[in-house]
Amino acid sequence: MARQRQQMKTSQNSVSVGRDYLEQNFSGSLMQTLQGIPGVKAMSIGSGLSKPTIRGLGFNRMAVTEDGVKHEGQQWGDDHGLEIDQFAVDRAEVVKGPAALLYGSDAIGGVLNLFTNHIPVKPFEGTVQLNGRSNNESVGLSAKVGGRQDAFFYRAHVTFLDYADYKVPTDSIQYYSYWIRLKDGRLRNTAGCERDGSLMLGYAGYNFHTDVRVSDSYSKSGFFADAHGLEVRLSTIDYDRSRRDVDLPRQWVNHLKVLSHTSWTEEKGAMELNLAYQNNLREERSEPVSHGYMPKPESSLERRFRKDTYSGQLVLRRSLGDRHELQTGVSTEFQHNRRSGWGFIIPDFETLSMGAYVFDRYTLREGLIVNAGLRYDHARSHIHEYHDWYQTPVAPVQHAATPSQPASSQEYRQRSADAVRRFNSLTWSAGVNWLTGDWVLKANVGKSFRVPIPKELGADGVNYHIFRYEQGNADLSPEESYQIDAGVSWSHEGWNLQVEPYVNYFPNYIYLNPTSQFVEGLQLYYYTQAEVLRYGFEAELGYELNRHWQLSLKGEYLYAEQLSGDKIGYSLPFSTPWSVDADVRYSFFGRGTGFVGLNGHLVGRQDHVVPPERPTDGFFTLNIAAGQRFPLTKGTTMKVALHADNLLNRRYYDHTSYYRLIDVPEPGINCSLMVGLDF
Amino acid sequence: MNSNNNSTYSMLSPFTVFSFVYRHWRSIAALVFVLVFTACSDDEKDTAKPSILGVGTASSVVNPVNCQLYHRGDTIHFFYVFEDDTELGSFNIEVHDNSDHHSHSTESNDHNQESGECTHSEEHHHDADEHAAEQHWVYNQVFEIPAGQRRYEARVDIPIPLNIAEGDYHFMIRVTDRSGWMQLKALAIMIED
Repeated sequence: MARQRQQMKTSQNSVSVGRDYLEQNFSGSLMQTLQGIPGVKAMSIGSGLSKPTIRGLGFNRMAVTEDGVKHEGQQWGDDHGLEIDQFAVDRAEVVKGPAALLYGSDAIGGVLNLFTNHIPVKPFEGTVQLNGRSNNESVGLSAKVGGRQDAFFYRAHVTFLDYADYKVPTDSIQYYSYWIRLKDGRLRNTAGCERDGSLMLGYAGYNFHTDVRVSDSYSKSGFFADAHGLEVRLSTIDYDRSRRDVDLPRQWVNHLKVLSHTSWTEEKGAMELNLAYQNNLREERSEPVSHGYMPKPESSLERRFRKDTYSGQLVLRRSLGDRHELQTGVSTEFQHNRRSGWGFIIPDFETLSMGAYVFDRYTLREGLIVNAGLRYDHARSHIHEYHDWYQTPVAPVQHAATPSQPASSQEYRQRSADAVRRFNSLTWSAGVNWLTGDWVLKANVGKSFRVPIPKELGADGVNYHIFRYEQGNADLSPEESYQIDAGVSWSHEGWNLQVEPYVNYFPNYIYLNPTSQFVEGLQLYYYTQAEVLRYGFEAELGYELNRHWQLSLKGEYLYAEQLSGDKIGYSLPFSTPWSVDADVRYSFFGRGTGFVGLNGHLVGRQDHVVPPERPTDGFFTLNIAAGQRFPLTKGTTMKVALHADNLLNRRYYDHTSYYRLIDVPEPGINCSLMVGLDF
Repeated sequence: MNSNNNSTYSMLSPFTVFSFVYRHWRSIAALVFVLVFTACSDDEKDTAKPSILGVGTASSVVNPVNCQLYHRGDTIHFFYVFEDDTELGSFNIEVHDNSDHHSHSTESNDHNQESGECTHSEEHHHDADEHAAEQHWVYNQVFEIPAGQRRYEARVDIPIPLNIAEGDYHFMIRVTDRSGWMQLKALAIMIED
């Protein structure tokens, strides 16, 4: 069966979804579209941006690859989204669990593999698609064309998206006792737009394949005006004038990628070479205000980052005999990051990393495959010195009842010292796949790692987005993660069951710890390392009554606890609460194929929090989806997909959303429509 | 047609599950052990933010209160009582300019007055010339609370400089507890000549 074949391909838990799934579930951003996959969550930052998380780990603890190359943006940022156009993705594969062996640093929680390099079949083919969403009046157009002539092929795509401020089912928000009234339930200044385009040229021969793809993704969006930055201020900006304009505070980001992929395949083996260049340019602008000893800056440019990433990867696959599949590879990545703006949060840095691995899959007998691998990584990180552009008085901490002393002197305070760190890591994994009758059993044990990022090493300043002082630690060791996970899959006469439990242990999880101290008038958060234990599972039970009716029940649970350090006994930030999904789907066949589905999504209360989070109540939403494809003239197909989310217009908070920290609820009732034509 | 091996497996499928468990009993036992130890563990951790009480003690009232009026050269006899369920940490007092009338609104009666306005007893100008000559007052000090306190009466004498601009100011109190929870109180004060 196809499901069993998929299960046997790897001993890790992985899920693969194709274009149909992406079209039927399309939402404001790629990650929101993929949220239905158990274990995957979008950490949303408004309606057009989200950050990926797998099993509760995101930021720099999971890797996103596009056509095999790791996507490098400013992943450390709470309010930085993933800069990939969801309409360009042909297929998405989620690998749950440590995948450091193949991808190196950062692949602790898992890897999201995105593929945009489907090779055209016809001399000329394409898709045009219009989509819209009601909650934020989003309108989008996406078009793809491609063609193949003998062995040569090309593909081009373009996407435009524009959306207004989104609606929430409440008329006021309370944040740290600030009382903010919303006009018509709209979160002012959360509008935005997106423009993406790509071009790919390639040669697909019998043994030899090469292609080059150039893509650019630009997106601009506003931050919720009333609770961003230093203080809630009555700005002179008239936010309520228009729902679609993007005023301060706002961000824009442009991500340019040039990817080259070459492979040579023969009977016994294959060779693959990936080379890539990425340029990530990001600006965050807000109304300049004075704070503490910083005078009012001249411009609205709070932060600007320019990151150039050069990467290369060579993989060799070889079959030894008819039992061994050996894979070996080397990879390297160079990142060059420069900052500007009046807000300091991370220093300039360069990072060079190199890794080499060997991995073997050995077939013991039919239906029983074991695998094991070993990898070595070396990274060198150079963070640069930074001094404030304004002067700060040098004054000691006062004790109550002592009259305040005048400042003894002024200085351009140093925020980051010049430092070079070298990291070495040895990682490994071993696993087994066992197919027996109706069962596929798999187990995997492995060690993954993550090199501390420049922000964790060298931050020393006010994070103006979230009212706190953040301090790095230049002595952090690379984070190590050990995980055991298993997968039990059973299918029989229309029933299928999947249970995927895991246990994950970090001896030195890097954590931004809130303290009882103040620095420059804001609470001090500093980076420490602690032992962390996490465990959980995903489970799915499905039943195909007949070819029309399908029922399914999905659940996931995650528990995290710090076993040492300042916050012993506490959880980790943004811990995913348990959830259960019940789905009923009716498929119909005829001139066109279509479906109607009803989904109930129940999420539990999250009480297990860590400062400064607050517990979040559980919630229930009802969602409905429908879609149809029908052939028109020869070779063209029309497709329609419609879904309505949060039908009951419930007011609820998502514990894993960035906006939870500023007490913003999730969107209310929302209808999405997609109309497309494949030709 | 299944080969011999396959038919043997499907016949044994319930048993293959048990044999899997049997073979891996050590890992499963470790997992159970870990779960027993950590799930439903005693909630000794601090889950509450500290509080800044709005009333003082039997002998003293809190100071300043919202919209309190001061004069340049006065001393603010700051007095507030902090409480926490576990242990207090430290506190910070910040005074900054509010001539643009931004809102902090932590006072419940300000829900209707988002601008944080206080009623002024006399003519209230923001004379541009006057302000250009003088700096707005910026005050930002951190104070440690002795260890082990669950209740602390904070008193600080804050002298108001003579050469700062008159007008509306915000007076902010931030207090933390040992676990890192933070509470905030924002007041509006007026400083006149």
